[in-house]
Amino acid sequence: MATTPLYNEEELVLLLKQQSREAFNYLYKQYGAVLFGVINKVVFDEHIAEDVLQDVFVKIWTNIGQYDPAKGRLYTWMINIARNASIDKLRSKGEIMKGKIQTGEAVVNNLERAMKTEQATDTIGLRKMVAALKPEYETIISMAYFKGYTLDEISKTLGLPLGTVKTRMRSGIKQLREVFNN
Amino acid sequence: MDTREYIESGILEAYVLGALSVEERREVDSNFAQYPELQKEVRDIEETMFRYCQSFAINIPEALHNKIEQALPGLGANAGAQETGSTSKSRTIPLNPDYRRPTIMWRNAAALALFICSLAVNYYFWDQGNHERQERIALSLEMNKMKADQQLQADLVSEYRSSKAMMADTGIQTIVMHTVLPGHPMAATLYWSKGNGEAYVAMDALPKPPKGMQYQLWVIQNGKPVSMGTLPDDMANTPLMQKVGMQVMAGEAFAISLEKRGGNPTPTTVYVVGKA
Repeated sequence: MATTPLYNEEELVLLLKQQSREAFNYLYKQYGAVLFGVINKVVFDEHIAEDVLQDVFVKIWTNIGQYDPAKGRLYTWMINIARNASIDKLRSKGEIMKGKIQTGEAVVNNLERAMKTEQATDTIGLRKMVAALKPEYETIISMAYFKGYTLDEISKTLGLPLGTVKTRMRSGIKQLREVFNN
Repeated sequence: MDTREYIESGILEAYVLGALSVEERREVDSNFAQYPELQKEVRDIEETMFRYCQSFAINIPEALHNKIEQALPGLGANAGAQETGSTSKSRTIPLNPDYRRPTIMWRNAAALALFICSLAVNYYFWDQGNHERQERIALSLEMNKMKADQQLQADLVSEYRSSKAMMADTGIQTIVMHTVLPGHPMAATLYWSKGNGEAYVAMDALPKPPKGMQYQLWVIQNGKPVSMGTLPDDMANTPLMQKVGMQVMAGEAFAISLEKRGGNPTPTTVYVVGKA
C-alpha cells in the first residue's frame, strides 16, 4: 500500500488535535487494520484483541497532543501504543506464560519448517514479505516486537550469545527491507 | 564513535524492536543528537517494521466501529453535535484601566470597536480558510484511497500473471480442486513442482470462512489425508497464492476442508478435492 505523504500526516495530526470526526475515521480506515493485526500478534484471544483495540484508539485520541513528530512518524507512535497496550494486557492477564509457551512452540515449528523447506525466498503474493523472512530471524523479531522480550531474555531463552541476537535482528530487518524495495 | 560499526551491531534494530533496557535506550537516545545518521537509520528500520506490520493487517469487525467511536471522549459522548471540531475559543478583551480616563475615552472606544471588528473579520476569513483546508484534506484522503485501490489492482494483476506463468511451466503441475458439495460451486488451485516438492495454493473460488473457522489444506498419501497446514482467511476468494510451508514429494490428491480455527488432525468438512 502507498504510505501517506508527509504533509498529510501533519494535517491529520492537526485535525485530530481539533477532535475532527473525519480525521478519526480516516485514521481508523488507514491504520485500524494494521493496529488490529499488531494486537492480534500479541494477544491470542480475539475478544481481548477487540478490547485492546478500543483502548488503543482511545489512547491515540486523548494523547495525540503528546505526539512529537521530531521523534518519529505517526504510524510508529501508534504501533508502539498498540504494542505496549497489548503486551501490558498480556502481562496483566497472566497470559504472558501462555504467550511464552506459544512462542516456544513457534520456535519448534519454525525450526521444523526451516528443515523441511529450503529458503522460502520465492513466495508469491502480498504475504511474500512475511513468508520470506528466515524463521530464525522471524522468531527473534517476534519475540522482541510482539512479546516484549528483552535482548537478555531472548539470549537466555534461545541459548544464543547477545551479539548474535542483535546481528540477527539486523539481518532479519535488512532482509525485509530488501523484499520491500524490490 | 565509529557509527558504521555501531549500526552494524544491530543495536538500533533492538532499539526499534523495544528489546533494550531503560539505560540502553537512554544511551541510544543520547547519541542521536550527535550523530544524525543514527536517527536516519532508526527511521528506516521503523518504516520497514511498519510495512512488515501492514503485511499481516486484519480487518476490524464492522460492529466495532460504533463502539469505538462511542468510547472516544468528546466525540462519542456528543456524537453528531460536532461535525468537525471547531477551535473557536471565546476571547476576552482585557480592559485596561486607562480606557476609563475620560480624556481619551472616545479615541479608545473607537479603537476598541475597530479591534472587535477586525477580530470578527479575521475570524470569518480564518474560519473560511479552515473549511477550505479541510476540503483539501478530504480530497487528498480520497486520492490516497484511490492510490491504494490502484495498488491493490496492480497486485492482483501480478498475481494473475504469476499464476499464468506457473501454468505454462512444464515442471509445474496445475491441480484444480473442485467442489464436493452439490449446489456449491467452489474451486481452488494448487501448483505442484514434483521435482523439488514445492507447492503453491490459491483459493480462487472459496467463500470467506465463517467466524471461528479456517481452511486447511491436505495431501492424500496412500489413501490417508496428511495436513499441510491452515490457510490465511484473507486469501479466500482471491487469486493470491501462498507457498505451502511443507515439501510435498508424493500424493494422489489434494483437498481443502473447513475446520475450527487452528485446524484439526483429520479433515471434518471437505470442500474441494483435486486429483494429482
